[in-house]
Order: sequence, then structure tokens, then C-alpha cells
Amino acid sequence: MTSRRDFVTVTLAAVGGALAPRWAGAAPKAMSVVHESSFIKAFDDFFVQKLAPEYEKLTGIKINYEPVSVGSMLTRLTTIVETKAGPEIVATGVNWPYLFDAGLVDVTDVANEVGKKLGGWHDNIYDAVVVNRKWKAIPWGNIGQLEVYRTDWFKEVGVNKFPDTREDLLAAGRLLKKKGHPFGFELGHGFGDNHGWLYPLLWSYGGREVDKDGKTVLIDSSETAKAVDFCRKFYQETMLEDVLGWTDVNNNRAFLAEQISCTNNAMSILIVAKRDFPEIGKVTDHGLNPQGPKGRFHLFNVQSHAIAAHAPDQAAAKAFLRWLYDDKQLSAWLVAGDAYYAPFLHGYDNHPMWNADPRYLPYKDCLRTSRLHAWPGPAGHQASESVAKYVLVDMFAKACRGDSTKDVIATAAAQLKQIYKAK
Amino acid sequence: MAVGPASIARPAPVAGRPITLRGLLEREGVFSWIMLTPGVLFLLAFVAYPFFYGIFLSLEEHPVARAGRFVGFANFVILAHDGVFWQVTRNTFMYVAVTTVFKLLGGFAMALVMNQSFRGRNLTRAFLLLPFIVPTALSTVAWMWILDPTFSIVNWLLVHGGVITSGYSWLGNASLAMWSLIVVNTWRGMPFYGITLLAGLQTISPDLYEAAAIDGATTTQRFLYVTLPVIKPVLIIVTMFSVIFTFGDFQLIYALTHGGPANATHVFSTWAFDIGMSGGQLGMGAAVALAILPALVVLIVGLTIYLRRE
Repeated sequence: MTSRRDFVTVTLAAVGGALAPRWAGAAPKAMSVVHESSFIKAFDDFFVQKLAPEYEKLTGIKINYEPVSVGSMLTRLTTIVETKAGPEIVATGVNWPYLFDAGLVDVTDVANEVGKKLGGWHDNIYDAVVVNRKWKAIPWGNIGQLEVYRTDWFKEVGVNKFPDTREDLLAAGRLLKKKGHPFGFELGHGFGDNHGWLYPLLWSYGGREVDKDGKTVLIDSSETAKAVDFCRKFYQETMLEDVLGWTDVNNNRAFLAEQISCTNNAMSILIVAKRDFPEIGKVTDHGLNPQGPKGRFHLFNVQSHAIAAHAPDQAAAKAFLRWLYDDKQLSAWLVAGDAYYAPFLHGYDNHPMWNADPRYLPYKDCLRTSRLHAWPGPAGHQASESVAKYVLVDMFAKACRGDSTKDVIATAAAQLKQIYKAK
Repeated sequence: MAVGPASIARPAPVAGRPITLRGLLEREGVFSWIMLTPGVLFLLAFVAYPFFYGIFLSLEEHPVARAGRFVGFANFVILAHDGVFWQVTRNTFMYVAVTTVFKLLGGFAMALVMNQSFRGRNLTRAFLLLPFIVPTALSTVAWMWILDPTFSIVNWLLVHGGVITSGYSWLGNASLAMWSLIVVNTWRGMPFYGITLLAGLQTISPDLYEAAAIDGATTTQRFLYVTLPVIKPVLIIVTMFSVIFTFGDFQLIYALTHGGPANATHVFSTWAFDIGMSGGQLGMGAAVALAILPALVVLIVGLTIYLRRE
């Protein structure tokens, strides 16, 4: 050591070196999680009142919970990812891990650990959350879209079990409409209940929007034409005209007002009926989507947690997700959710939450036949654009209001070719 | 320390006077800029920046969460070949044109009535302003119930009044949905016209009416040759503002129909939002939003030139 200046430099470097690991590893004081508000209030309450305080007690890290109104999460997520600001742990739905791929952290390590501990992941979940072989989100459950129907009115027309095929459902609907109990399936610009039955309808007739390569538009086919013709007939012979303008609240409201006898929805109708309209709750049940000539399908609505790339301490965010997806926490949280979210972990295939009410079970059964919107095409930006532009919904809606099958398919094909940049 | 009163101190000669804050504030040029700065900064941050960023975005292919790629006018070319874009354009112009006429006529009538003397005039004025005061999101929810197929009070009244046998699908039928939105927008926007035109009417000197009456002018003539010419500048300004607001109307349509059924009520703002925020195509969304710009520029420039001539 030759001078005072050298002494000071070396001393500062040594002190800095000693403190640096502590600073770098210092846990954040707080983290935030943003979620779409759950239809099941107890699910949100459980997080805020039980999980967050427990984690704070354990680690000293406060977990803030930011609920976003139903249907607004995509907008919130776009803002968070584009501005690189806001909560570090974000909820994702449907194909969003693909949409926001570049703005989300690779959580493969956490997903593998969770899968190993809880019996392994369902095979088809990889399509929804694994982007370029990296897990971009960790799913906690699926909000299934199934047939919700009035058992008493179906019995009145001699249908004691929910119809297994589309033609049988049409036949039942005809009888029920004549009896003053029409069907009500959303054909307007809502965010979920329209897609929830129209994509499975297309697939069940063999129709597809786009091929696996994401370049070949397949919508213009005889299979699509059959699906469109069926939809028109189904609408005209079983439904109210108003469904063409419905958004997601309308079918719930109409079912609970005893205006319709069947719709396609998540479990929320039964849950609200049991709570607020017990007499209706007693005569409400669920059925899987009916089979078409080419099989039975359902739409995925995968709910997951992801870590935004701007998170200042990604290790801390991962640590929280590890803890949250530990059986002790996750299991209790799912029970609080009243089986509204069907988990994708084989360890939960026979979870006690499914025993609460046998009417919940179809929401578990539908997982095997669930696909993302653009299936079999890739779940990327183009898929989201097609959904946002209501290409498929409007194709069916226009046919229902009276446009020709040929015209509506041609319009949809032109839109899809523009979206997928296909010739 | 003893300090003499300021009034006793002799003012320093102008030349060579040191620059003081007070001196600066007294200069009109400096003071006006100081007063303007907060407003200008606010406008730059919240109007100019988003506007120019919007133009920049519209020239890019910019999927959400990814870097944008400059594509020039490609987004606009794609839009020009998109049938839905032209449907949205027709919807927007029809929505703006019809609501503007309704609001103008209704608002003018409202202002003329409110300008008369009658018992309870102030209370009536306050009530007529309600649609404008209530937050749009709240009033839209009320309209959702009014137009709801199951609970619609309009349908209930029409059915129970024996006018129709079964209720209309106010938001499910493509034409009715557009007309329903026009009615709601008119309901909400009319008080803006009413109150602004009323302010204009109150500036008209009663002497003018008296002079016209002495000359033998009828009520219609007094309206045409006294009221209308005096109020014309206000009328033009209020119409211009209203057209701009209506072009950008979003909440009402988004909440009531979300552009459905089958795009029958989509306007530029709702379609741009869907493409940009739900579809993740920020560049294309910005291009749709900017598609209103030429129409607005023509309108604003035209009206400004007209007003200057006046």
C-alpha cells in the first residue's frame, strides 16, 4: 500500500464487496400480484386474508393483491408489459403466454418442480403455456365452458339426460322453444361465452380456422359450411333473437330470470343460483358440449401466473410462486374456489373439491377435450387478432341473422388470410 | 436592523437596473410564458406526446411485448382492403351525423325553452343537466337495464300498453342496436348543447327583440333574423366540439354492444381498442384510431376558416 488514496480505494472496495451479496440478495419489502376478479369471491378473499398474510409472516414480504374487473385483465396486462411497470406477478388467460412471450420470465424450473411434486401436468397444457420449450406461466386452473341447462324443463319434454349429440340437442331445443323455454347461446361481442361454444361447434364438424403451420387458412371448407348451417338452424329453431347482441352477462341474467332453458357458460350460473336463487339452483345442471360428426370439443380458458420481465427481483417472485403452488397452499385455495377452477395436475384429478357436488364433475372431464382458440394453428399473435376481431363469432352470427353460408365463410376466409398473411 | 419604508426609497434609474424576480414578473412577455408553461407542459405530455407516438405506432408493425418494425403506410393499405374497416367507417359517420343533428335540434329547443321565464326554471335547468353530469359508465349501466331483453322497461311499457305483443331486441337486432346507441348518445349529449346555447341566448340584448317587434317582426322572423345570426358562432363552436367528442365516443358503445351484433355498431374507437389492446396489434390499432384524423382535420380547418371570416 503506497498512499492514502490507495488505502481508501482498497478499503471501500473491500467493504463494498462484503456488503454486495447482502444487497443483491436482500428480499424485496413487497411484491404485487394482479388478477382478474374471481366470480368466486371466496377465492379472492382467501388470497387476501389467508395466503398473503401467511407469506408475509413467513418471509417478511408483503404481497399486494390487485384485482381487475372481469374481462379487463388483457388490457391491464398489455399496459404492464408495454410500459414495463406495475405488478411483477401477473395472471394470464387462454393464449396470453404466447402473446406476451417476450415480456414474461422463463419459469420452467418452478413448473417442473410443481409438476414433479403434484403428480405431473396434463399433456395438453403444454400447448397453452410452454412457448419455444420454455414455460412462460404456471397454470392453476381452467374455467371450463359447458352446457348449463334446466333439468326440470328438459324432463318436461322427455329429455332426462343432457343430449349427447348436436342433433339431439337441436331436437330438444325445438320442443323447449315451443313450450316457451328457448335456448340462449351468446352470439354477440362478449369476451368468452361466445367463443366458448362456437369454436367447439366448428371443430366438432371438422372445421378449422388455420392449419398447424399457421399459414394455411382452412376455414373455407365443406366442414365449416356444415357447422354454419347447423348453427343457423340451431339459432332459428331454438333461440331468442336477442342472443345476437348478447355479451357475457346476458346469458347468466336470462338463465337466472328463467327466460332460457340452456346456455353455454362457466360454472358461475350454478354457483350464483345456489347462493341467490336456491330453487333454480336445484334444477340446474351441466352437460359436456355435445358431439358433432367429428367429435366432442371444449374451449380452453387456462388461468395461470406469470412473472413480468420487468420484475426487479425475479428470484423472489419465483420463490413466491413455489410457495403458492405448494400443495398446502394451492389445495386450500382451489377448495376456496369451489371447483370453479379445474387444475391441470394429475395429483388433483381426484381432489376432494370435486366431491362437493357431482354437478361440478363435467368441468373436470372437459379438460381432456379442451383446445385453445386457434387450434390446431399456433397460439400466437394471429390467434389473438382473430379472436379480438370476432372473425369466427361474426361468421356464425351473420349466418344466423340470414346471410348466406357462402358469403359468411368468404368474409371470414378473407379476414383470416389478412391476419395470417396467407395467400 | 432598521429598514426604511419602501415608499421612501428612490426608484433606481431604469438603465442598469439589476434583474430581479419582481422585475421579471412585471414583464408581460415573461409573465405570460410563466403562466402558460404548466398548461403547455401538460398538453405536451398528455396530448402531443400520445398523438405523435400514435402516428409513429401506426407506421409500424408492432405486436405487443415485441419491438416494432417500420412498415410505412402498410397498415393503412391493409385497412383499405378490409371490409370491416369500411363497415366501421360507415357506422362511425352515421353515428356522428345522426346524433349531431338530434343533439343540435334537441339542444336548441331545450335552450329556447330554458331561456323563457317560468316557475321552477332553475330547478328544471339543473335536472336537464343530469345526463351530462352523471358519469357515462354509470348512465350506460342504467341504459343496459333499460334495453335489456329480459328486464327492459321500454319493452314492458310497449307490451303492457298493447302497442306490441312481444318485446324488441334493442341490442340484438343490427339496425335497432345502432338506433338504440344513437338515442343514448343523444340523451347524454343534448344538455351540452342546451346549456351552451342557453349561455349564448342570454347574451342577446332584449333591445334587439324589442326593436324587431316594433318593426313588426313575427316570432319566426325574430328567431331567424335576430336569434340565429347572433348565436351562430356559439352554435358552430358547440357543434364542432360535439362532433369531435362523438367521433371519439367509446364507453357507451363498448359497454352496451361492444361493437356487436356482427360489427353493426363498431366505430373507430371501439375497433381500434379491440385490435390494439385485445388483439395485441398495437400498430394496426393506432392506424385505425388515426383513420378519423382526416375527417376531423377537414372539419376543424373548415370551421376555423369560417369563423375567421365571420
